[in-house]
Amino acid sequence: MYSKRIHVVWFGIHFFLVTAVCLAGVFWLIAQGATILPSACNEFAHKAELGATWCLGKEAGASNPFRTGIASYLHAAGIQAGYSFFAPNVPSHHRLTLELFHGDGRVEYESPHVRSKAAALRLDSLLDKLPEQRYESVREALVKMLAFSVWREHPDVKKVRATFGSINPPGMNEFEQGKTETFQPMFSFDFSLRGEEQQ
Amino acid sequence: MSSLTSNAEANLELNPLQRGWQRFLRFLFPPESDTWLTVFRTGLGLQVTLYALFLRTDWHYLFASSGKGLVGREVGEAITSFESPLIPRFGWLIAVGRSLNISEETVLTVAWVGLLSAGFLLLLGLLSRPAAIVAWFVHLCASESGGLLAYGADNFMTTALFYLMLSPLPDRYSFDHWVAKTKLKNPKTLGFWRRVLQVHLCFVYFIGGLAKSLGSGWWDGSNLWRSLIRPPFNLVSPELLVQFKYVLPLVGISICLLEVSYPLFIWLKRTRWIWLGCVLVMHAAIGLMMGLYLFALIMIVMNIAAFGVPSASSGAEMVSGPHQQ
Repeated sequence: MYSKRIHVVWFGIHFFLVTAVCLAGVFWLIAQGATILPSACNEFAHKAELGATWCLGKEAGASNPFRTGIASYLHAAGIQAGYSFFAPNVPSHHRLTLELFHGDGRVEYESPHVRSKAAALRLDSLLDKLPEQRYESVREALVKMLAFSVWREHPDVKKVRATFGSINPPGMNEFEQGKTETFQPMFSFDFSLRGEEQQ
Repeated sequence: MSSLTSNAEANLELNPLQRGWQRFLRFLFPPESDTWLTVFRTGLGLQVTLYALFLRTDWHYLFASSGKGLVGREVGEAITSFESPLIPRFGWLIAVGRSLNISEETVLTVAWVGLLSAGFLLLLGLLSRPAAIVAWFVHLCASESGGLLAYGADNFMTTALFYLMLSPLPDRYSFDHWVAKTKLKNPKTLGFWRRVLQVHLCFVYFIGGLAKSLGSGWWDGSNLWRSLIRPPFNLVSPELLVQFKYVLPLVGISICLLEVSYPLFIWLKRTRWIWLGCVLVMHAAIGLMMGLYLFALIMIVMNIAAFGVPSASSGAEMVSGPHQQ
């Protein structure tokens, strides 16, 4: 009976957290105005999102044991993210193009790459996360590391220009009319051996 | 007969709240055979093995420190430790290795071998629980250290391995049971962990379906088009997709309805096999048409273990022999 009670209590807490994470995700989408719901819902959704994240301890200080305890449990159980994949709409694909300026004046174009298809999926996942606001503080450092991963293969390169942007695919009707994808640059960085400069 | 009567009388004495509570307990702890656990264990063994093999050539490149790998493990680990310093990551293992004069490369190799071995052991059912714990821990380290490189399949793998490691292993088809003659587990505990998996899947599909339904693109087929022509998922040629342009809105709407209504129709005996079949077909199609093989496999394994194996309480086989409470 004692064991049964422990199971029931764990079940309640576990699925309470799952519910809070999922609702926080859905309310965030609505608050961002990314859904078909009228914009009048946005403010309510924002408040509801705050309520859900409060349940997860995210409003507490970074070192608060309640917050770190919940965060640790969520990650350990793999329930830290909601399940709104490709929703409400399929996000744009992103590309990082590296212009490699060689010492002899040659210019080559490359992209960060991996060997296996499974790892390529992960690299694409990383590129799609880069424009997100929460990664703004580490964006430049990440692009620099990606550029460096290619630079290591070309030691004679003096300068690298990294251009990041989103790829907008044509709609089905546009495709039938012969239109192709368009590249929309979002930001670029110049890296050289002596230092780097942002454009 | 007399005990039945006394049970009925006892039930009449309970107030509605207590009756509801008893019903809830019966829902949470149905007597269950361990066949679903066999499916879950072997399925996850296959998943972990394939995960390790697929990442074999890039393992060090993805998880090495800055200057050696793709982006360096430190960025992912810094983001993770901002959330909580208690979340496992490769940095812990590498720090232990350093104190023992073992290089980072060797530690990462040992972690990969450990993960692959855990996958094989789960497939066989040998040292089931230790293998489940090792698989969960190493996979979690990989997901957290490469946090920015992770995607949906990683979360589902962590969750599934988390449930497996807590489930009453070993099952009767495992080598552990055959070699060590371990006692079979309490059918109600087996039933509880199956319920956990079932309820979790209901959350997954309901929230996924709800979020999709809130986007206009799932009602006119444009999201399906975008997801199928979007690199690196563009395995089917757009020319071929255009030929099915009138079918795409129908498929998009069907996906929304299938997912939103999953928590209802998967429990009803009449509709369970239809919903399960449709969900399995959907995941198989995602795997084959978009190249998301690991994502497809983990979802198929979780669905079959949760709802694909006939329930013992519905008249199918029950665990026989002595039970461990």
